[in-house]
Amino acid sequence: MKPVKARAVQGATAKASPVLPDLRGYFGEFGGRFVSETLMAALYELEHAFRGAWKDPSFRKTFVGMLSNYSGRPTPLYPALSLSKAAGGARIWLKREDLNHTGAHKITNAVGQGLLAARMGKRRLIAETGAGQHGVATATVAARLGFECEIYMGSEDVRRQALNVFRMKLLGAKVNPVELGGRTLKDAISEALRDWSRTVGETHYLLGTAFGPHPFPLMVRSFQSIIGKEARRQFLKTEGVLPDALVACVGGGSNAIGLFHPFIADTKVRMFGVEAGGRSLSPGEHAARFSGGSVGVLQGTRTYVLQNGDGQIENTHSVSAGLDYSAVGPELAYYRETGRILFDSVGDEEALEAFRTLSRTEGIIPALESSHAIAYALRLAKTMRADQNILVNLSGRGDKDVMEVSRILEEKGEIL
Amino acid sequence: MIAPDKRAHRNATVWKRGVSPPALIPYLVAGDPDLETTRHYLKIAASRGVFAVELGIPFSDPTADGPVIQAAAQRSLRHETAVSSILDWIGTIPQEDLPPIYLMTYFNLFHHMGVRAFCEKARATGRIAGVVIPDLSFEDARDYRPVFREFGINLVGFVSPTTDPGRARRIVRESRGFVYYVGLMGTTGAALSITESARRMVGQLREWTALPVCMGFGVSSKEMAQEILGFADGVIIGSRLVKDERQSDLWEETFLEFVTARDRAGRLS
Repeated sequence: MKPVKARAVQGATAKASPVLPDLRGYFGEFGGRFVSETLMAALYELEHAFRGAWKDPSFRKTFVGMLSNYSGRPTPLYPALSLSKAAGGARIWLKREDLNHTGAHKITNAVGQGLLAARMGKRRLIAETGAGQHGVATATVAARLGFECEIYMGSEDVRRQALNVFRMKLLGAKVNPVELGGRTLKDAISEALRDWSRTVGETHYLLGTAFGPHPFPLMVRSFQSIIGKEARRQFLKTEGVLPDALVACVGGGSNAIGLFHPFIADTKVRMFGVEAGGRSLSPGEHAARFSGGSVGVLQGTRTYVLQNGDGQIENTHSVSAGLDYSAVGPELAYYRETGRILFDSVGDEEALEAFRTLSRTEGIIPALESSHAIAYALRLAKTMRADQNILVNLSGRGDKDVMEVSRILEEKGEIL
Repeated sequence: MIAPDKRAHRNATVWKRGVSPPALIPYLVAGDPDLETTRHYLKIAASRGVFAVELGIPFSDPTADGPVIQAAAQRSLRHETAVSSILDWIGTIPQEDLPPIYLMTYFNLFHHMGVRAFCEKARATGRIAGVVIPDLSFEDARDYRPVFREFGINLVGFVSPTTDPGRARRIVRESRGFVYYVGLMGTTGAALSITESARRMVGQLREWTALPVCMGFGVSSKEMAQEILGFADGVIIGSRLVKDERQSDLWEETFLEFVTARDRAGRLS
């Protein structure tokens, strides 16, 4: 069966949907550009440069070329039969973003923005990082394209992701630990924004997720959508139909929107975003913005935010540094509001269990972030028929996490 | 509802270039180290006839602030410094001890309370001249500007060294109360050097508006303040004063130096 026909069989709607974001950078009521005046000129410059580049076939060619010969795209789509058997129910497929150069989907966005920054004549890249994957990806691209590079990272994350800190240094980047607030991703973003407002002429802020002020959510989604485009094509080619469900973990949301966006019009494909349930759903113990949050404005965008009764931002907790964040990308907030994407959360324990399950059943050690998606897929599979298919974005590999997991297991007295 | 008292706005609305003294705007972090001290500082500022006080309400994630104001915000980040509590507290201060107040904080705090609810309550106190919101961009303000106007709460426009002239003109046209010229690229309290382009920009802004054009971010000495007042209508003193907030004698001394600078500049002009 031809892919085009398969799409028709699946009942994809061809109805015109609004172009999102709109010209002011809003997805419905979410998004915007809530930043200081000093940064506004840079955001316009960036938007102009991005729109120009994205229309330019030579830029697209360079982008796709570097992804293929430097990062190893396309990444495989893998039928995880043993994992599916362990779950009992639907078949689980893994989009192997963990096989990208530097170990996660983050490199795709870093390559895209790095090429764009070069085109804009910038000489310095800065970035925030949580788990360190985006920091490593940015440092890698900086090394490859010849940029000066500084990474902001919460000191709590510096501690639990020591291996990635070393990798960034090895790649020639300067790592600045951030001692403010909860000392995690949110605080690193604030510091990066402060740096950018000082250095905006020569510096590009290589934001790592589909978050922050317009045009970042649009730009990061555009780069990361290659995940969903590949997965859709690969699945159709192998199975002749579309998957029944997609699952991705959601920190800021770049791996999720990257997988989901090319399937948005395929209304029969259900989509599930998985947030970090942490230790419990009490304030400060989790990062499930859609369960415990409300609409607010943080770090440039209007979206769902974890905040207290006075509007102060709550700190978060998750075993995975990459999901440990108080707000979520505005486009995901929009699709949650319209009901197109469903959200749920998976706690630390369940994610750790999935981390071990995937390692044992498939010989694939997932990142702790992606382990949340695996855990949810295991839950979901049990509720579905054996002839149905779940496609999970395995957004990163777990090499960076093994020391931390070993420490946690030891603490619990579970020696492997 | 208490009838709005117009007096709080008087300074802000009747300021006249060439007639009124230069605008001195000290910035205070509410509740640093405690609200009693803040009240004391407000009284001193009122007695010296400042144009207004920018009263900072602490926010957990102050992305436009440098280390001094971040640290002060962390110290005063308590429940009694929530926007609503601060409005209640301001209502308890006798009118004669209170300069015109511009509340300065990040947009989420207004958004969380609801911009309309905030404006209703702010107007009811009769003591809030306006708001200074560094992360409410000119573009995003479009949705909220009419509400602030409806209640007579001045929404102050920011112009920075990166703002192009056409945009600056639009910002100035929509600004109310005063115009905030950010003198440097970066966060509050960084080292400011007064450039020729800043002088030119301020001169240009003054041609476009009758509102006082005030320069802030990094004004660290009375000499610098006096120099700024040679070409701008006003000056905002932030981190330099916040540094001294925990020692009331020192604060008063520093503040009076800036008052002297203003008075000198006033005589010279």
